[in-house]
Amino acid sequence: MCPTIGEEVGGRRTDRTDRVVEVRGLCKRYGETRALETVGFTVRAGEVFGYLGPNGAGKTTTINILCGLLERDAGEVMICGLDITRDPVAVKQRIGVVPEESNLYPELTCRRNLEYLGELYGLSRAVRRKRAGDLLETFNLTDRGTAPFLALSRGMKRRLTVAAALIHAPELVFLDEPTAGLDVPSARALRGLIQSINRDGATVFLTTHNLAEAEALCDRVFILVKGHGVTEGTAAEIRRRVEKTRTLMLILSGDVAKGSLREACPAIHSASLVDGTWRLEVTDPHAAVAQIVFFAEKYGVRVLEIRTATASLEDAFMEILKDNVAGPKGTV
Amino acid sequence: MNQVVNALFISRKDIESYYSKPPLITWGILFPAVLMLAIYVKDPATYLNVAPGIIAMTLLFGNTSMAAIVVTFEKRSGTLQRLLLTPVTHRTIVLGKAASAAAYGIATSLVITTGLALLLGMRVVNPLVFSTGLLLGGGVFSLLGLIASVMVREVFEAMTLMNFLRFPLLFISGVFMPLEALPAWVKPVAMVSPLTYVVELVRFGISGQSYFSSPWICALAAAGFLALSWSVADLAFQRRANR
Repeated sequence: MCPTIGEEVGGRRTDRTDRVVEVRGLCKRYGETRALETVGFTVRAGEVFGYLGPNGAGKTTTINILCGLLERDAGEVMICGLDITRDPVAVKQRIGVVPEESNLYPELTCRRNLEYLGELYGLSRAVRRKRAGDLLETFNLTDRGTAPFLALSRGMKRRLTVAAALIHAPELVFLDEPTAGLDVPSARALRGLIQSINRDGATVFLTTHNLAEAEALCDRVFILVKGHGVTEGTAAEIRRRVEKTRTLMLILSGDVAKGSLREACPAIHSASLVDGTWRLEVTDPHAAVAQIVFFAEKYGVRVLEIRTATASLEDAFMEILKDNVAGPKGTV
Repeated sequence: MNQVVNALFISRKDIESYYSKPPLITWGILFPAVLMLAIYVKDPATYLNVAPGIIAMTLLFGNTSMAAIVVTFEKRSGTLQRLLLTPVTHRTIVLGKAASAAAYGIATSLVITTGLALLLGMRVVNPLVFSTGLLLGGGVFSLLGLIASVMVREVFEAMTLMNFLRFPLLFISGVFMPLEALPAWVKPVAMVSPLTYVVELVRFGISGQSYFSSPWICALAAAGFLALSWSVADLAFQRRANR
């Protein structure tokens, strides 16, 4: 059952002064389907906050509620200290949104698109012209300023859509799958721009399927599965939480049998050899290293390289999905 | 005040993007012009009986079609969602969209009126009542188009929905024959059609005569329909604009 507004469910208590987004007990249903169930999180000023989850987890539903496009069924949503339901115009004045699909006006030129949105945000003519020019330059679109939006390539459309979200210099920028469908150079360029937006002082709320991207960009991430928040923290914290074993990568100067390696090193749970490199799953890395060194001396081989291989955020994400795949019945 | 200015920005953008395009202008003018010409050629002596109806019909078709097409198109392309993300209220969007569609319908009606005046010598004896008819009609019909646009997903669905409304209205509202000449059972039905009052305001503006004793009765009734359409459009936009 959804909690009433103001109830403390799923939310984290942090210093009030640096909260840009506060969500507590957020619920949304589409008929009998529960899209969001008591979701709670906090986004702090100046951070890049990753909102991750598999398809159908409820990420876009959350963004739509936070941006005022969709009404929530229950819960509390404060954006920059304002309730989106009670004061939608004031909230929208302070946020910028890059939806999953680039949705600027196809028939208008790039510059006119930016200036038109500048008009709606109340920028004076001089300010919106300057801002549009600056953004076209920043996003490397100056030479396309007079081209209609529909004539741009996919990557350029994405860049202009991000630029449009920044026309009024918002405090908080929502980016819904910003690099989805882009080629590698375009995606890399856009990631650089996202970092630059954040360096310029904007808080970034990012959803992405690309977990390497989330790991590279986000200060903290929140993982949503089937409408439920399952974990929150830095990428390193989340990795540590799910790590049950550690991985060691080992290169020896000569061939050894897997059986004798495992027999001599009880700390090794499993071992596999790929292209001359042993991948060892171990419970205690320190004990394993000591046993490996002892084993190498005994068998007359040298340890050429030994290093720990940390689990990626993607590994952690997959582990979390496995743990949460049997969610409550009736959820998305 | 800021929201009114934003409505003007929305209207200006729509006129720039859609309504000032030559194909749309010719579409809005060609059909009523040819129809009027056909009626004149058939009987030059009585064309003035039908002219007010044709002018009001131009307004009805131009406004309802364009408002419905533009908003449905913007829903499909995602640009309406883009607009909903900006700091404008739903009312501002309704006002801006309706104003641009109304401007288009009024402009095409004025082109037809000017053509009739220049080519056939038709006179507008009461420009105030005539303009009141166009303004109120433009507002009501644009809002009807907007209401239809948020009820459906596709342009053809909006057109189908509008046709179920427009063609019966043409029949009951004294467009092709004066209200006096309508069958007795149609006359009460005509009183619940906004088109009836717009036709009669335009008729009074052109000939100084109307079925009603005063043109201001028609203006009051049309204003009532405008208020009702505004309320429904506002509610429909709040509930369904993002679907």
